[in-house]
Amino acid sequence: MLSPREMIDDRPDDNVFRVNRAAFTDAATFDREISEIFDRCWLYIGHASQVPDHGDYIATRLGFHPVFVIRGSDGEVQCFYDACSHRGSKLTRRTSGNARTMTCRYHGWCFNADGDCTLVRGGDEAYRSEDLERMGTNLRPIEQFGEYKGFLFGCLDADAPSLEDFLGGALPFIDLMADQAPDEMEVLRGESRYIMEANWKLQTENSTDGYHVATVHRNFATTVGYRETLATDGGGEMAKTEASRILSLDKIGSGGYDVGNGHMINWADRGNPEAGPSWAQRGRLLQKYPEGKVRWMLERGRTVTVFPNLLLNDVASTCIRVWRPLGVGLTEIETWCIAPKGEAPESRRARIRKYEDFFFPASLAVPDDVRAMEGAHTGSEALNNGWNDLALGYKTLVDGADAAAQELGVVPLNSNPGREVETPFFAFWREWATRLSS
Amino acid sequence: MGDAAILVTISVEQVTALLHQEAWFLDHKRWGNWLALYDKDAVYWAPALVGDEGWTDDPDNDVSLMYMDRAGLEARIFRIEGGDSYATDPLPHTAHLVTNVLIHDQTDDLTEVSATWMVHSYTRVRSATVRGGLYDYLLRDTPDGLKIVRKKIYIHDDRIVGPVDIYNI
Ligand code: FES
Ligand SMILES: [Fe+2]
Repeated sequence: MLSPREMIDDRPDDNVFRVNRAAFTDAATFDREISEIFDRCWLYIGHASQVPDHGDYIATRLGFHPVFVIRGSDGEVQCFYDACSHRGSKLTRRTSGNARTMTCRYHGWCFNADGDCTLVRGGDEAYRSEDLERMGTNLRPIEQFGEYKGFLFGCLDADAPSLEDFLGGALPFIDLMADQAPDEMEVLRGESRYIMEANWKLQTENSTDGYHVATVHRNFATTVGYRETLATDGGGEMAKTEASRILSLDKIGSGGYDVGNGHMINWADRGNPEAGPSWAQRGRLLQKYPEGKVRWMLERGRTVTVFPNLLLNDVASTCIRVWRPLGVGLTEIETWCIAPKGEAPESRRARIRKYEDFFFPASLAVPDDVRAMEGAHTGSEALNNGWNDLALGYKTLVDGADAAAQELGVVPLNSNPGREVETPFFAFWREWATRLSS
Repeated sequence: MGDAAILVTISVEQVTALLHQEAWFLDHKRWGNWLALYDKDAVYWAPALVGDEGWTDDPDNDVSLMYMDRAGLEARIFRIEGGDSYATDPLPHTAHLVTNVLIHDQTDDLTEVSATWMVHSYTRVRSATVRGGLYDYLLRDTPDGLKIVRKKIYIHDDRIVGPVDIYNI
């Protein structure tokens, strides 16, 4: 089997960037991804608004490690391994909930929301105090935990650079979502997890792939367009969608960036920005931020794909998506709708309806994406030594910033004028190969 | 007739016949007939999970798996029949089991009903999937017969495999 380095055929002088399809299907490579990427990178956990009160927790996984975040008595959120310090039983009982005291169900040890062990049942009689000291009864925090504007991330590598260093060039684009609210953003109630029978990296590519939109989502566009002609309840201006834009690609400005550390940006001008649910915030945003930033927030749809498995999608609605590998050909995907706190009811309603249209496994779009990615996985198994040649748009790739990036005051490593380009993928694959080869 | 409210008495047999008819139309892909069972102001709602035990209950502030008016249902048919949706081609063979039908309340022309469902779906792409849950219906007695004004579908499955659409819930 090829090494990860050999799976990437990266020859800029020849206009060549190719990925061997074994990268999606090789089990040994998958195992290395878990230890070298998921056990070492900053990974998205959840949003601070999901744990507003003392004792609120969310249980999840980082790589294959169960962990949970919980808000402590001092109001600070911490992240612990989800394992009892006695003999390792998983502590959380729910995927989310409130527990100011977590009682382990195996032998009854108790822990408070700050991770301190508050009861060792029968401990005084059975243990010497130096035994308990040696064992360490408090919960073990994960190696690094960080928050950026409400987004909570964890990292299992104590030596990894800080969260902000890791997010790096993606930060100004994350801000475009995080800064949209006068008082913070919140994640809305309503959960969905779904399974994709394909390798997790197909979701990473798909998240920033502008090329599939006009094909895989043609059905979404025509269906929503058809529904708008029925318009039984009038719907209002905000109910209008970006659907028509999907089918009229050449009339709009668009582009893709490599912003470093494996993070990728894809954007396209909105055909109908006034119909965006955040348009109502425009006046307030203009008072607070430069015009270029507000234009980016409201007049450009964006996908911000953070290495290795997070997407912040602000196109028709505002979505956070995470995909977690379960096996080389099996992935769990979870999404949340994020919205400005206290937004007007009609904006909130329109945002939610547009979210349901696109982002859930019951929507008009995600099921088609899932099938497309599953087809790509199956097909990748078919060819011995097959290569994905990512030359689409390579000839128009330029170093540094394009005009749109300059409006935001950022300098990507490279820019490409056009949404139907594969060059942003280079960012991901170069980071991938570097991490697997270390 | 006077203007006193007329007590409409709908029987469990009538309601069950309607629910079974709906299932039959879906399982035989008679989309137009299926849609005709829904009244003009119908709402079709599948709430999403909140934690392990709760459901979203406010469609204007919470995200649902589906929240559609009749135009939304019509658009779903458009999507399925267009043959252009990767997830919908091929369509699965489905078998709806709809049971435990109960009437909870009747006022004027409206009847509140609950039922239990299970759907077995099969495509060669995915093999068999089985999902289940509960239905709450609000039915209206109209000159054209009993119509669905509101259908609420609790989908008990999380970590969903394959698409969820009108034909398999
Ligand atoms: S494993 Fe938790 S108390 Fe024993
Ligand atoms: Fe897509």
